[in-house]
Amino acid sequence: MEEKHSHWEPRIVAFLCNWCSYAGADLAGTSRLQYAPNTRTIRVPCAGRVSPLFIVRALMHGADGVLVSGCHPGDCHYLEGNYLARRRFGLLKRLLEYVGIEEERVQFAWVSASEGGKFAHVVAEVAESVRALGPAQRLIRARDQEGAP
Amino acid sequence: MRAVLVAKDQMSVLLEALLQDHEVFAPVNDDALVAFRQVDSPQQVLLDYGNSTLPPKGLFFPQTETLFTYSLERGHLVLKEPQRASRSQVLFGVRPCDARSFTFLDRVFANGNQCDGCYLARRENCTVVGLSCTSPKATCFCSSVGGGSFSATGSDVLVTDLGTDYLVEAITDKGALLVESVGGSREADEESVRRKREAEASAEATFRGAIRTEDMELRLQEMWDDPFWDRLHEKCVGCGVCTYLCPTCHCFDIVDEGSEQRGRRLRLWDSCMFPLFTQHASGHNPRPTGKERWRQRLMHKFCYWAESHGEAGCVGCGRCVVNCPVNLDIRQVLNEIESLSKRVE
Amino acid sequence: MTDLSPAIRDAARRLLSDGLVDVVIGFEAGPIPLRSSPCFARDAAEVERLVWNMSCENNLAKYLPRRRERVGVIAKGCDTRSIVGLLREGQIERERLHIIGVPCRGLIDRRRIESELAGREAIDVQEREGEILLRGDGFEIALEKEHCLHASCRACRSPTPVIYDTLIGDPVAEDMAADEYATVREFEAMPTGERWQFFAAQASRCIRCYACRNACPLCYCTECFVDSTQPRWLSPSTDATDALVFQIMRVMHTAGRCVDCGACERACPVGLDLRLLTKKVEKDVEELFHYKAGLDVHEPMPLSTFSPDDPGDFIR
Repeated sequence: MEEKHSHWEPRIVAFLCNWCSYAGADLAGTSRLQYAPNTRTIRVPCAGRVSPLFIVRALMHGADGVLVSGCHPGDCHYLEGNYLARRRFGLLKRLLEYVGIEEERVQFAWVSASEGGKFAHVVAEVAESVRALGPAQRLIRARDQEGAP
Repeated sequence: MRAVLVAKDQMSVLLEALLQDHEVFAPVNDDALVAFRQVDSPQQVLLDYGNSTLPPKGLFFPQTETLFTYSLERGHLVLKEPQRASRSQVLFGVRPCDARSFTFLDRVFANGNQCDGCYLARRENCTVVGLSCTSPKATCFCSSVGGGSFSATGSDVLVTDLGTDYLVEAITDKGALLVESVGGSREADEESVRRKREAEASAEATFRGAIRTEDMELRLQEMWDDPFWDRLHEKCVGCGVCTYLCPTCHCFDIVDEGSEQRGRRLRLWDSCMFPLFTQHASGHNPRPTGKERWRQRLMHKFCYWAESHGEAGCVGCGRCVVNCPVNLDIRQVLNEIESLSKRVE
Repeated sequence: MTDLSPAIRDAARRLLSDGLVDVVIGFEAGPIPLRSSPCFARDAAEVERLVWNMSCENNLAKYLPRRRERVGVIAKGCDTRSIVGLLREGQIERERLHIIGVPCRGLIDRRRIESELAGREAIDVQEREGEILLRGDGFEIALEKEHCLHASCRACRSPTPVIYDTLIGDPVAEDMAADEYATVREFEAMPTGERWQFFAAQASRCIRCYACRNACPLCYCTECFVDSTQPRWLSPSTDATDALVFQIMRVMHTAGRCVDCGACERACPVGLDLRLLTKKVEKDVEELFHYKAGLDVHEPMPLSTFSPDDPGDFIR
């Protein structure tokens, strides 16, 4: 148990929208930018596709942090998805913080397809802020007890 | 069976003695509610309380129970059962309705060749100390359904408040062992038996919530298609309060959760009031609306159970009456059924 | 203080006899003191059972979605806001609904009264101006009404129905001086860790009976997310994490729709402080999107719309 934690690296689930953020992440890769390896990417059509349930479930199943990234306002491939997402995430972020989930565990970004550099930068910052918090303990499902997932 | 008297101010001594040798679960204040919890000092125990919000059945039949866990270790599947309690347990201060409910649960979970190991182990490891009801509530109706405020059914030991003392009676052999282990008490005499009988008569006289249950099972059998069921369920919102707070309800769901690497099998309370309870994999639901589900609840408690076991499947604790969000009162329903079927006769 | 029950019965009787509705949904005296129970009156005899008092704590809008009959419904201020919400969401047809609005002076909190009674049982309860009189075996006590009001009724912003066909009783002014978000603000000011401890403790008491969800008029989904199996978002277990996720996701699902009627909190058998969550989301919806649910049938729903100027400082 102790060993596990001394080598602990934050595991961050990143929901990236297909048209902008995922492309931006891809650009970071093709540009050979070095960035923190802590994210596990899940490609979604649009940030607006991300239900609060996705974010909460990621935390329940062992994510130390969650990043959701979409197109800049005005640039959404589906026109309005990111605007609707902005409202939804604003509420969710406040609610999670209110019940005691540390604010930095769930973060949001607008990263466009051309912003490979920004993507790397965002991941670095998110990883650092989550690292400072330590492993997620609060919304976790009995991770070390009785073999739950 | 042996009976002793324990002075009021000596009850804490008895509880201390129990705490030495057993894990003790008793009614305690839990915020604004009363709940059965493990105690570590006699001061926490409530000796004068109405009843708990949740019934003590959770001690034998927990709401969330891990049946086993599995994990893949170096390619081998390892199954582990949770550890059973190492110390013996005493469930102290249970009301007669709840104690009687354990005998009902026994018929489901500890019944000859249909035995649930988890349940049985917990039951056998626990001595039940009942506490007679000297002031039943207006919502209590145990004596209408075959119980009584001083009933010893389901208790290993029965404690009765006689005013200045507690009468502590051994009811079963298990209970006798517990009473033996309690020191510093006096033998109960004729006088205390008389005082108990008086207290019982006075408690029974206070019952206001009586219902008429003769031939309830026959009446229900004839009423399956009665339009009465169309109206009855209208106000019910279909939550699980009545079933989860009921001492005799025992339905459960089994859920597997996990990944390829590790997981567990859970047994969880389930409620016939939820639509998914009877949902088939095909999509068909034989109890599609609240009407069928409410009819089922009543039938199960007062017809099917009675047919199988010779007594109503309800112990009259009144929790469903008190806690139903819409104050749907099962006593009113039963009285209505009785009048309805009398009209037909 | 006038007893509005006779006027309510008159209105219900007329609606039924004029053939305007098939059923009037109101309240009847509960089988136990201090309670009332929803009543579905379809004829003159059943109308006689209708009552109105401070124990009429259910939100009867609950019974409106998917109802094919023409319905008359007794609705307090908050209930009418729920009705506006249901109309907005297309769950009821305005033409099949006759709203008997009743301005409300607040509901009593039966648990608070129980604790005042300290084990004694009230057989009779009467409302008087500013007072509640409780009578039982060998006792009679008068409690200050203010003291016994349910928390949801204290800073009520809509005691008078916002939509109705018939209004019974005089409009009641809201107490604009009271800060309806006071308790939430107190909570927000606590350190994060303390808030977590509080909610974790609350979650461990939840028994997943869904009384909160089922008492809510807005929870009308035929399949609730808790029952979803593909994927299974959360387990039906009483593990604190699952219980907390149920609670926070339920308030996310009612975000921008919840009118803080308090029916959820009143329904909870274990006394969870559910309004600490619902009220928080209501406050955020008002602060972020300048919107209050259940006031305007035509206004767009806050989570189905947006403004280019919506707050976005939290996004990198």
